[in-house]
Amino acid sequence: MATPDQKSPNVLLQSLCCRILGRSEADVAQQFQYAVRVIGSNFAPTVERDEFLVAEKIKKELTRQRREADAALFSELHRKLHSQVSSYATLFAQALPRDAHSTPYYYARPQTLPLNYQERSAPSAQSSGSLGSSGISSIGVHTLNGPPPPPPSLLPGQSHPGPGTGDCLRQQLGARLAWTLTASQPSLQTTTSKGVPSATSRSVTRPRRDGDAGGAVEVTEAALVRDILYVFQGIDGRNIKMSSADNCYKVEGKANLNRSLRDTAMRLAELGWLHNKIRKYTDQRSLDRSFGLVGQSFCAALHQELKEYYRLLSVLHSQLQLEDDQGVNLGFESSLTLRRLLVWTYDPKIRLKTLAALVDHCQGRKGGELASAVHAYTKTGDPSMRSLVQHILSLVSHPVLSFLYRWIYDGELEDAHHEFFVASDPTVKTDRLWHDKYTLRTSMIPSFMTMGQCRKVLLIGKSINFLHQVCHDQTPPAKVIAVARSAEPLQDAADLFTDLENAFQGKIDAAYFETSKYLLDVLNRKYSLLDHMQAVRRYLLLGQGDFIRHLMDLLKPELARPATTLYQHNLTGILETAVRATNAQFDSPEILRRLDVRLLEVSPGDTGWDVFSLDYHVDGPIATVFTRECMSHYLRVFNFLWRAKRMEYILTDIRKGHMCNAKLLRNLPEFSGVLHHCHILASEMVHFIHQMQYYITFEVLECSWDELWNQVQQAQDLDHIIAAHEAFLGTVISRCLLDADSRALLNQLRAVFDQIIELQSTQDAICRAALEELQRRLQFEDKKQQREAEGQWGVTAAEEEQESQRVREFRESIPKMCSQLRILTHFYQGVVQQFLVLLTTSPDESLRFLSFRLDFNEHYRAREPRLRVSLGARGRRSSHT
Amino acid sequence: AASSEGSASEAPQTVSSLQTVASFLLEISRILNTGLDMETLSICVRLCEQGINPEALSSVIKELRKATEALKVEIHMFTHSE
Repeated sequence: MATPDQKSPNVLLQSLCCRILGRSEADVAQQFQYAVRVIGSNFAPTVERDEFLVAEKIKKELTRQRREADAALFSELHRKLHSQVSSYATLFAQALPRDAHSTPYYYARPQTLPLNYQERSAPSAQSSGSLGSSGISSIGVHTLNGPPPPPPSLLPGQSHPGPGTGDCLRQQLGARLAWTLTASQPSLQTTTSKGVPSATSRSVTRPRRDGDAGGAVEVTEAALVRDILYVFQGIDGRNIKMSSADNCYKVEGKANLNRSLRDTAMRLAELGWLHNKIRKYTDQRSLDRSFGLVGQSFCAALHQELKEYYRLLSVLHSQLQLEDDQGVNLGFESSLTLRRLLVWTYDPKIRLKTLAALVDHCQGRKGGELASAVHAYTKTGDPSMRSLVQHILSLVSHPVLSFLYRWIYDGELEDAHHEFFVASDPTVKTDRLWHDKYTLRTSMIPSFMTMGQCRKVLLIGKSINFLHQVCHDQTPPAKVIAVARSAEPLQDAADLFTDLENAFQGKIDAAYFETSKYLLDVLNRKYSLLDHMQAVRRYLLLGQGDFIRHLMDLLKPELARPATTLYQHNLTGILETAVRATNAQFDSPEILRRLDVRLLEVSPGDTGWDVFSLDYHVDGPIATVFTRECMSHYLRVFNFLWRAKRMEYILTDIRKGHMCNAKLLRNLPEFSGVLHHCHILASEMVHFIHQMQYYITFEVLECSWDELWNQVQQAQDLDHIIAAHEAFLGTVISRCLLDADSRALLNQLRAVFDQIIELQSTQDAICRAALEELQRRLQFEDKKQQREAEGQWGVTAAEEEQESQRVREFRESIPKMCSQLRILTHFYQGVVQQFLVLLTTSPDESLRFLSFRLDFNEHYRAREPRLRVSLGARGRRSSHT
Repeated sequence: AASSEGSASEAPQTVSSLQTVASFLLEISRILNTGLDMETLSICVRLCEQGINPEALSSVIKELRKATEALKVEIHMFTHSE
């Protein structure tokens, strides 16, 4: 066969046929005809034109057929071919890739396109001298506009008449280059050894790039997409920048965009704005040291959400990157348009909107307030928003719940940033621990906890602290430990909002119940609170009658002295005597130890009666119930009761006096009027005091005490006991006329008491006088008898005269006594009437009933016109009478 | 002129490079199971360089091969029918 060079295609074709068919030239005529016909016809390309894709396909096919070694070999050869080819393209060294896997398209990017373009013109200029310029320029023309040139069978014809072997060689090289690079660019052979990388022609197959090659002012969608991806992260893009004046993203004015692109870009830019807002908040808060745990968990939750958002952004970015790397193989359209972004970012936009709204709402809040703010946002109908906010809420409330559990189970409060709703006052000492140390910080109460729950929580922690510090009891109740171990704040935080909070309530209730029960147990067992309460009643409220009476008996001579002469130790001694002599001795020594005498402040003119008081010492946990105010109330009540008792005592004395002297004084007939008067007055007073005592003892003390006792027995926690006790004292005080409203009544009563004392002294004086008179008369009679017995005159005239003088004087003093008594009576009755009037106008029912009892036979009513005014519908007279 | 000198200086290398390239091509065609030997391959390359549509060329070659097969069968039948 002739050398294949320099043969026409027909000749070559014929030799091909010969070779394949294995026959001589003459026999292949038929096939040759057929071949010519086929080749001459217009063949539409069905095979992929992209060399890189073809190579990839081949490799894939080889690996699929499990010929990996062959695939590797193939890529190696391919690479070598490329390198062989590229060694000729020294002018284009920087543009050509060394890596077989990157495509020739790599250097055909918009940035490098002008470069290639220029360089292409250089060799074309150089080679135009040696070769037909038409060929090259025609190449140039072909590569710049439009569709790939048809297989120009004409061109080879043009280039063939080349000079000499050197050119032949060059042609061959060119031919080799052409063949390796593309099937459709045979025209490359017309160039010099510095072949034109035909890949540049590929640029024409990408119409998209046409736009880029156009003007620099117009902003394409692709550039916008890139910008938007930056804006999503809050970074200003090339065309879209943040304008702080309007607080929004704006497209730069000079870029001419069509309206729809601009609008879509603006809509997408909103996402960037939302992102910025959230980011700003979290960044600010991370610098703020006093933000507290709740706030930090909120920021962490926001961060988590932002991370998801960033993940989406990175996916979008990688999509963009991939496109840039691969070029146009995905078709004529890029897969990232503004519309696609709009659709893909719809969900994240909703999420970010919710988060931004949350951030707005939560500005400037911290602690429990922050949790409430987030909770407010769960009340929405949109299920996705609700689940998002609930998730955030569960994270945010986790610190609150852990505070809570710590507080409930251990009584510890470590709240450096004041986020919890229980506040502790460090300045308060242990004696006021229960009342003052722990308070509710209402602003920090989260809205998902009710006030009742919070109060219970406060109580539980308070009880634990109380046990530890005041009762010195370190052992927590067993059940509480068991529950504490099973508490898991994070799980509970999530459950809290899904299971209607019943389990949570149950936990709090259980802790409350256990702790309070334990506390009451300790108080009763170790500190015998109830016993002390009863003791106070017995001694301070004069419950132990025999003891009080005996005490009064013993004290009477002492207390009659002026107050300044009294000594405490004397009185204490008397107290102890009284205790030993009565049933009080059977009380526990703990109680008796606390009983004491107290001398009140002495004002001038006081007798012992005014300054004497009993006292009951309390300390430790008991002092929480019997606080200092309580004790002072008790003392006042004691004072009152003591006074009333004294009146009773006095009247008893008067009665005694009457009974003792009645017989004797029968011998003084003129005296009987006075005596009678005395009796009447005394009876009146007795009646009065009797009724008062009845009232005090039964209606006031007994009833209130009964109520108190019931409540204390049923009490579930210490607060109940304290409240019941204070209610008890309040009732007692108001009913004993000791509170501020009843001052008038109290004064009246005091006046009555004064009258009684007055009577006592008057009566004493009268009786003394009478008795003296009687004594003298008896003496006189005795003397007379004696003298007569001696045989003398019984009485001398002078003595008789003296005697009758004295008797006359006595008889004259009687009217004085009578008038004295009468004045006293009158005064007394006036006071009582006044008292009755005040009683009937008092708001307290039992006092009004007292007035009925006092005036049962309307004795006073007859005398007092004001009492005759009819009572109103409620049995109460108006106070203006 | 400079370019031609450059190409001329590269000329002694090019022959060996050409042969290397040719060997590469042969290797590749072997991997791809084209069934082309060196001569046929070089004819094909030349034809393509001269502007023949390679797809058309490959279909021609396939046809020719089919014809060869048919002929072989015919001959086989012919020789064996005797």
